[in-house]
Amino acid sequence: MSGWAAFGVFLLLGAAWTAAWAFVAARSGGSPLGYEDVSRGAARVRRLLATPILLVLAVVYLVSLRWFPYPSFATQRLGPPSVRVEVRARQWAWELSRTEVPANQPVEFAATAVDVNHGFGIYSPSGRLVAQVQAMPAYVNRLVVSLPGPGTYTIRCLEYCGIPHHGMAATLEVK
Amino acid sequence: MGAYESIQNGRNGPALRVALVYMYTGFILFLLMGLLGLLMRMLHAELLRLPPQWYYRLMTLHGAGMVAAALLAAMGGGIAATSNRLTHDLRWLWTAYILYFVGVGLVPLAVLFGGFAAGWTIIYPLGVAYASGWTAWSTFAFLLGYLLVALGFAAYCIAMLQAVLRRYGSLSRALGWPVISGRAQPGEDVPYLQEVVATVVGICGLIAVLAGAAALVPYFAHNLNLTGLVDPLFVKEMIFLFGHTAVNLNIYLAAGLAYASLPAYTGRPWKTTPLSALGVNLVMIFVFLPYFHHLYQDFAQPVFLSAIGQFGSYGVGVPALLITVFGGLTLAYRSGMRWAVPTILTFVGFWGWVFGGIGAVVDSTIAVNQVFHNTLWVPAHFHTYYLLGAVALTWAYLYHLATELSGRHESRTSRLAAWLYGIGGAGFVMMFFTAGAAGQPRRFAVSIPSTGEQTWAFLATLFVLVLALGLLWLTYDLVTRLGPAWARARGRA
Ligand code: HEM
Ligand SMILES: [Cu+2]
Repeated sequence: MSGWAAFGVFLLLGAAWTAAWAFVAARSGGSPLGYEDVSRGAARVRRLLATPILLVLAVVYLVSLRWFPYPSFATQRLGPPSVRVEVRARQWAWELSRTEVPANQPVEFAATAVDVNHGFGIYSPSGRLVAQVQAMPAYVNRLVVSLPGPGTYTIRCLEYCGIPHHGMAATLEVK
Repeated sequence: MGAYESIQNGRNGPALRVALVYMYTGFILFLLMGLLGLLMRMLHAELLRLPPQWYYRLMTLHGAGMVAAALLAAMGGGIAATSNRLTHDLRWLWTAYILYFVGVGLVPLAVLFGGFAAGWTIIYPLGVAYASGWTAWSTFAFLLGYLLVALGFAAYCIAMLQAVLRRYGSLSRALGWPVISGRAQPGEDVPYLQEVVATVVGICGLIAVLAGAAALVPYFAHNLNLTGLVDPLFVKEMIFLFGHTAVNLNIYLAAGLAYASLPAYTGRPWKTTPLSALGVNLVMIFVFLPYFHHLYQDFAQPVFLSAIGQFGSYGVGVPALLITVFGGLTLAYRSGMRWAVPTILTFVGFWGWVFGGIGAVVDSTIAVNQVFHNTLWVPAHFHTYYLLGAVALTWAYLYHLATELSGRHESRTSRLAAWLYGIGGAGFVMMFFTAGAAGQPRRFAVSIPSTGEQTWAFLATLFVLVLALGLLWLTYDLVTRLGPAWARARGRA
């Protein structure tokens, strides 16, 4: 999912909540009503809200499973990767076994690190964060993605790894 | 049970003084750390230039200092809000304070003199990788500081559990289980909600401290060359189990303060009912589940743990929203409530708690987390339910406490200042959210041009200044109330 779509959903939900909040705030100082009456009404509203909220959460949860980024899920969605790139992170540089991969095809990045935790983040030519995975010592994390469109992608470190961290970048040609 | 019982009961003066010390210390620390936050925003806006190591030092100091400050202030609130019905062992509370204070003191020492800059979560083994740009002793001092803070927090948890046990005899009664199950006898001494919160925090806090120890032991051992690399995934799990839990308990502790103060303004009691008590109890399960979401991008973590993380992150919001926040809004709705600094800040606190919660739920969806993890979205959501949630609720209570004890009246300007806190804060966090959605990494000394971060940080700086204006005024109020409040807590005046 693109970051902006998620941001849109967030803004909508946030606006709905802010409206509800403002509704209550505007009616808190004014003419009082007995607490019994308010409590009864509130209990009704709560019952009314509970089911849809739980339902929506449950549905979103189940649907989102399909979009898990983990290798077994991604392979099911995209097909088996045709290219494998070994990624080794060290303070403060990336070592990639190849720096050219095909566009619109599942590619596997097998990421590890030799010293501390790093984050393997792939930015598109327009600067959008496309995918990421942690690169840590003693483990190999496998990320399977399909990179849309050709161009020069930028690899940035997304896990703080010491003072020169923000300069730890590399490029990846997608053809 | 009346709608509201005054804070003082004639015997709790000494406990209130401890509470004032905790809360004012936390508040001052918060102001200092807030200043560092402003500096970091100015660095990203390029209104200010410093070498990058300073960004990371400020970040480390600010993160650790703020978490410590917010928790300490909420702990003090927890003491005050329960002190008219519980008898606390003051020796434990002072011991906790001293351990905590010394521990917090080691943090700026390590950062400013030792150059320590591994971030407040010091993800293992970064702290022991000295080539990263800091000295060996500074890692040691920082870890020692954390150890002392953890011990102080443990002492506090023990003191709170002792106090509830003294009154209610058993944990199950202190947790309100007879009420939840409907077996409470008429006339039975039922715990108030803030006392149930204190019990939950005591229990979960001790568990969190154990997780903290499980992370600190290998860290210390490695630092002293007693072992080589310990399984970094395991240590990471423990770091976040501790960090996530401690931070969440802070939020619940702060919510517990609203139970104690809101009735003073709405004239309605926030009763211990089966539902409200259940809401507080559910926290005990849910507080431990979401922490897996910190490890979503560790694909080596078994997938089912990530799935539990998403489940827990969705689940934890439901009781908080539908029981606690909903209960608070019900208490205020058409109550003819007096708008005062504490009620304004409490409303800000409810807003931020839920708004930040929405940001968290969006980010805890693993598919979304692929592009939000370790971007500014993360500080965005936690600043929302810290600065505008837990911390706002804590300052609401502090202002309430100081005002009631000092007998001072507040001015219109003070109310305006409280709204400025909310407005400035909201603008500030919205800029974090926007930059995060655009892909600007967190913990990054520079702004990436393609994300527009420099502009967002500039706007954020302006909003922080609005916040600072409000805070300055409230600080003046709080400082002038301290003397008379202290005297009243001594039983004079
Ligand atoms: C007073 C207004 C505040 C401002 C202007 C501010 C600003 C900032 C900034 C700019 C960062 C660095 C973000 C990054 O580059 O990753 C940050 C990080 C952080 N802040 Fe704040 N903040 C404020 C309040 C708070 C509060 C109230 C808390 C908690 C009680 C808090 C806790 C943290 C933590 C834990 C971090 C992460 C540090 C790390 O990554 O190691 N902040 N803040
Ligand atoms: Cu890095």
